[in-house]
Amino acid sequence: MEFSYNWDFNSILFNWDVLAHGLLVTMQISAITLTAGLGFGFFLGLGRYSRLQIFRFPSNVFVELFRNVPALVVIIWFFFAFPIISPFEVDAFTAACLAISVNTAAFSADIYRAGIQSISPHQWEAGRALGMPYLTILRRIVFPQAIKRVIPPLTSRGIEAVKLSTLASVIAVNELLYSAKQLSAIHFNPIEAYTAVALIFFMIIYPLTRFSYFLERRLGHSD
Amino acid sequence: MYEWDFSVIPMNADLLIMGLYGTIKVFVSAFVIGFPSGLILALMRLSRFKIISIPIGLFIDFLRSTPALILLFWFFFAFPIIIGLMIQAFLAATLTLAIVAAAFYAEIFRAGINSIERGQWESASALGMTRLELLRRVILPQAIKRMIPAFLERTIELLKTTPLMAAVAYSDLLFQAMDIAQKTFRPLEVLTVVAGIYFMMIYPTSLGVRKLERKLAKSGESTVH
Repeated sequence: MEFSYNWDFNSILFNWDVLAHGLLVTMQISAITLTAGLGFGFFLGLGRYSRLQIFRFPSNVFVELFRNVPALVVIIWFFFAFPIISPFEVDAFTAACLAISVNTAAFSADIYRAGIQSISPHQWEAGRALGMPYLTILRRIVFPQAIKRVIPPLTSRGIEAVKLSTLASVIAVNELLYSAKQLSAIHFNPIEAYTAVALIFFMIIYPLTRFSYFLERRLGHSD
Repeated sequence: MYEWDFSVIPMNADLLIMGLYGTIKVFVSAFVIGFPSGLILALMRLSRFKIISIPIGLFIDFLRSTPALILLFWFFFAFPIIIGLMIQAFLAATLTLAIVAAAFYAEIFRAGINSIERGQWESASALGMTRLELLRRVILPQAIKRMIPAFLERTIELLKTTPLMAAVAYSDLLFQAMDIAQKTFRPLEVLTVVAGIYFMMIYPTSLGVRKLERKLAKSGESTVH
């Protein structure tokens, strides 16, 4: 074994635009999947909490399915299998966004549901006693309180979605990790390329993680 | 209308079983290495010596906040150059999953150990036990019971990370599936069935964990909120 490798980050610095473009695509995937996933997850969460079987059953199946199949398997499925039955064109970027969105939706659904369930049933009764309809109780009484409790776990889920975006590289979406792969193939610098990308991700995700701990403490106290 | 044809599955069952075996092999190896390493990392992070606890804390945070696929590529493509030795996909995958799992297990161990009140430490040291003895005979037996649900959850998470190694061409279940799909031109059937296999491995396990969690929560022995 020898440890005399000469690190050479020049080939990374000279090609910063490749990584910058990769970072942009990573951010696009994250933005799309966060919006779609956390948005759709909200309705799934309501569906799982619903008293009506027609809402509850499909929501349950969706959530259990995508919580229990590994994200990469879902990405591969959306890229190679889904186009065969899909009515619309599915490119790699779309497949990755779809897969990560459904994964995020499934996991966030349970966070929303737990948030709604954590509000004591007396509050529902009180709302009903005032003559409020179901949706009004949700909107005016339950949500404003539940939102404080769901924000910290949703933040962690969001961070998880950003981490999942790297899986898109497997189907050749040119996000950050894939850019590093290309750089290392051209310049024979896998050590520098992958180390740089690992550090970039760390610098994005670590502050977000600290922030989510902060939120947890902050919002936990005010309860 | 697409005509489904599932006959490719029984025809390639042997390949799928080989893939499943590869998946389980990496999963078990990563667990066997990762679990005790997690305990060691946790103890180092809880060390009274800052020179140990601070770098180990950073190391754990780094592993927890870097996507596993990047670490896998790093171990597979970069690490061999540094040590000057070729390493196989199996080893790279096992190493990656093991250290990532270790970092997450470490945080569970730490939370569990921290959840035991100070009084127990004090009374045990008043009995003249050394720190290690105290940990082994007083703290860990109580802490481990509280950590069980979180451990199981994390272990399921580990199982869910195993398909990543298909990305470095290790012949796990996902890789075999992609291979068969390509050769038979039946990606829809093959990949759907394989997704189903993963589901059937993971779903019953997570149901069991949830049940156990509720049971332990009732008896007040859980750290999972």
